[in-house]
Amino acid sequence: MPETAFEPWNDPDAKPLIQFRNVTKQFGDFTAIDDLSIDIFEREFFALLGPSGCGKTTMMRMLAGFETPSAGMILLDGQDISPIPANKRSVNMMFQSYALFPHLSVYDNIAFGLKRDKLPKDKIDARVKEMLRLVQIEKFAQRKPEQISGGQRQRVALARALAKAPKLLLLDEPLSALDKKLRQDTQFELMDIQEKTGTTFVVVTHDQEEAMTVASRVAVMDHGKLKQVDTPERIYEAPNSTYVADFIGDVNIIEGHATAEGDTVSIAWAEGQPPIIGTPSKPMGDCKVSFAIRPEKVAIAAEKPQDRRNLVQGKVLDIAYLGNLSTYHVQLVNGTVIKAQASNTRRRASLPFTWGDEVWLSWTDTAGVVLES
Amino acid sequence: MNLRRFSLIAVPYLWLLGLFLIPFLIVFKISVSDIALSIPPYTPTLELSEGWGGIKDFFSQLDFENFEFLATDDLYWKSYLSSVQIALISTFICLLIGFPIAYGMANAPKEWQPTLMLLVILPFWTSFLIRVYSLIGILSQEGMLNQFLMWIGVINDPLTILNTNIAVYIGIVYTYCPFMILPIYATLIKLDGSLLEAAEDLGCSRTEAFWRVTVPLSKAGIIAGCFLVFIPALGEFVIPSLLGGSDTLMIGKVLYEEFFANRDWPVASAVAVILLLILIVPIVLYQRNEQKMMEAEQ
Amino acid sequence: MRRLTWFNATSLTLGFAFLYIPMIVVIVYSFNESRLVTVWGGFSTKWYGELLQNEAFLDAAWVTFKVGFFSSIIATVLGTMGAYVLVRGGRFYGRTLFSGMIYAPLVMPEVITGLSLLLLFISIGLDRGMFTIILAHATFSMCYVSVVVSSRLVSFDRSVEEAALDLGCTPFEAFRLVTLPIIAPAVISGWLLALTLSLDDLVIASFVAGPSATTLPIKVFSSIRLGVSPEINALSTILIGIVTIGTIAASLTTKRAVARRQREEQMAEQSA
Repeated sequence: MPETAFEPWNDPDAKPLIQFRNVTKQFGDFTAIDDLSIDIFEREFFALLGPSGCGKTTMMRMLAGFETPSAGMILLDGQDISPIPANKRSVNMMFQSYALFPHLSVYDNIAFGLKRDKLPKDKIDARVKEMLRLVQIEKFAQRKPEQISGGQRQRVALARALAKAPKLLLLDEPLSALDKKLRQDTQFELMDIQEKTGTTFVVVTHDQEEAMTVASRVAVMDHGKLKQVDTPERIYEAPNSTYVADFIGDVNIIEGHATAEGDTVSIAWAEGQPPIIGTPSKPMGDCKVSFAIRPEKVAIAAEKPQDRRNLVQGKVLDIAYLGNLSTYHVQLVNGTVIKAQASNTRRRASLPFTWGDEVWLSWTDTAGVVLES
Repeated sequence: MNLRRFSLIAVPYLWLLGLFLIPFLIVFKISVSDIALSIPPYTPTLELSEGWGGIKDFFSQLDFENFEFLATDDLYWKSYLSSVQIALISTFICLLIGFPIAYGMANAPKEWQPTLMLLVILPFWTSFLIRVYSLIGILSQEGMLNQFLMWIGVINDPLTILNTNIAVYIGIVYTYCPFMILPIYATLIKLDGSLLEAAEDLGCSRTEAFWRVTVPLSKAGIIAGCFLVFIPALGEFVIPSLLGGSDTLMIGKVLYEEFFANRDWPVASAVAVILLLILIVPIVLYQRNEQKMMEAEQ
Repeated sequence: MRRLTWFNATSLTLGFAFLYIPMIVVIVYSFNESRLVTVWGGFSTKWYGELLQNEAFLDAAWVTFKVGFFSSIIATVLGTMGAYVLVRGGRFYGRTLFSGMIYAPLVMPEVITGLSLLLLFISIGLDRGMFTIILAHATFSMCYVSVVVSSRLVSFDRSVEEAALDLGCTPFEAFRLVTLPIIAPAVISGWLLALTLSLDDLVIASFVAGPSATTLPIKVFSSIRLGVSPEINALSTILIGIVTIGTIAASLTTKRAVARRQREEQMAEQSA
């Protein structure tokens, strides 16, 4: 393992900062969190990703102290935090609405938490100035929240939450209120600030792009359960279920029956179509499977490629031109539609393919993921 | 539940229990007691000192005589009916006067609107009694209204308006009109102007657009305004006693007189209980309308 | 879309004439030299002088002021607590009854409220006087305060309070440092409403006031029953004047606040 890699989750000796141990949370009859266990390590930038109602916000609110688990235990630094009220936890939160105090200036908003700790005045002042510098809003210190823009409010909220130097910072949909351009710039700043301060960040988001960009690890959640916890690239390239594969990015999913052939499997999936050859992550016997393959890993060509085992022919049904890429929806003879992506490397007079063209789709043996269904 | 939360809830809760609910139960209790020539002027009184026997005695002596009395004496029937009638008609007149004002306000130039709003709110903060009083001078035999009518030659002899039911109608409409205007204005001002343009675009004439778009969409405000006038008008006491005549029958006035002039507390209490029963239906309807308006806003 | 048509102009003119002419007549006749209330006898301020010498009116005004002052303060405190319980209280035993008791007095006929409170005071043997009027006024005006304050509480982002807790406030500190400053305008208007309701109230006060305490509305009512008088005109003019100045001042303050907010929003956009 190279020294630069930050992967405490692979180190059996690393002590987690946060541990969820079989945590369940119920609201009446509704189970928001279902017997969930997870470890989060110091200095991690951890993302909870899922559709609304999947329980990610509940997890965050339990960490902040606004909800208590119905069963199970949450440990912070090895200590059970359920008896500690929100105002005594060394955990701070950046709210989705930012929740800035409208009657206080930017400066006083950031100083608010420090004043509660009864720190001496000069220390508070020094810390607030440091925070203002960190998020680059020194100019606006004396303004009220409604006198600054949305992006600046976001920074104030971040500075306020970081001011008390919490062990853990929670960010609830931190960038959802910003427009797309600003959001992308801010993502990198957020990573930068996380690295500079060395604080553990847990971010809740429904935006997969945001989670993939900022996080060291992503937890994909659904119905109160963790579907997969892994690094962004493993979540994308090696999803462990069709749910994860489908939730993150674009994917073609083909159902079929697998027969083992050494390291590979042969998947029979439709009458009259050649079987798909795939490489499962671990050896598997004969069973029903789902084959998931990303559109950008499917090559599209007018001429029949010679060296590929996975090869199908179809007709271009639809083209989505995205500027840098084009996605082709190709309909096979049996009606199945497969998406293939090609980058538009040349300025063009006409697209290489157009509606109704006969094309060949192909992919390598390891391009897709074979999932037992 | 910690102590702080408990006391936060308990203080206003107990205050309202002691000064709103319990007084109410006392009214109910006295309404089923008998009149007596003593202080307090009703029996039985609850003697807790006599223990269980006292409580049993107390309950065995309660009856519905007072309600039977209300049913047999047509004074009460007539006052209930006439209160409902006066309240209904005045509500309707309020709507006829209030809607055009609210409509005019909502369609006035934007920079006028705060001032117009202020002009409606001002009477609302002004003493109710003074506003009723100001009508006396206008409506009396030699008052401004008669002088004006005679001056323009509509009448030759002064009309008797004060101390009649007409004066009561005028009084209620005059004092409660702002309650009608404000909720209607609130719904009209929220009305999206492009809806009317859409209606005209689809072939409505302007009048048709008014009846088919504006009126249905301000329904919630109209209903709220009607209840806000009807409910207090029904139990009104000041207006009938200052502007009405001796033949003006309104239940609030009857209750007041029964209590203070006749000192018949049990009957006064029974009158109050029935008035409340009559009011429950409009109050429940009003609450439902408010809820619908709130849901519509979310 | 906003144009003043003839129909609108007419309905506004007639409508406001209807609302204002009676009061204007009262104000004009308060400066009438003649005691006859329908004949103009020249300009004079003598009725104001007489009013200020009328001990009975002055005493009643003083009682009314004291009642209004104390009852509105109690009502504001209790009403704010009540609003907080309604909006942020969560579930507790008897919550429905509680909200019922907050809303019911708003639609209760005054004669019934007055009667029931009087019967309560008699049955617990409380001597009637200023104290009982204060209790009665505080009770019904706290409900108005609750409604005003709770509409503000409902509309403000709960996470602001959570942020205060998150940053180390106790629940009480969060209320004092964050919630209260934010809802302060609603609390103040609730207090003003409570004060006005108390100063205006005739019916409830006449039930629960004993012979020892007469409020201004009770005094005015008994003299109005005898007919129109120039002193009452003068008194009415003073009261209308106070309300007018107060309302206009309040609306100017709001207007200025709105203008300031607009400027600030512009500033925010420019700084972005």
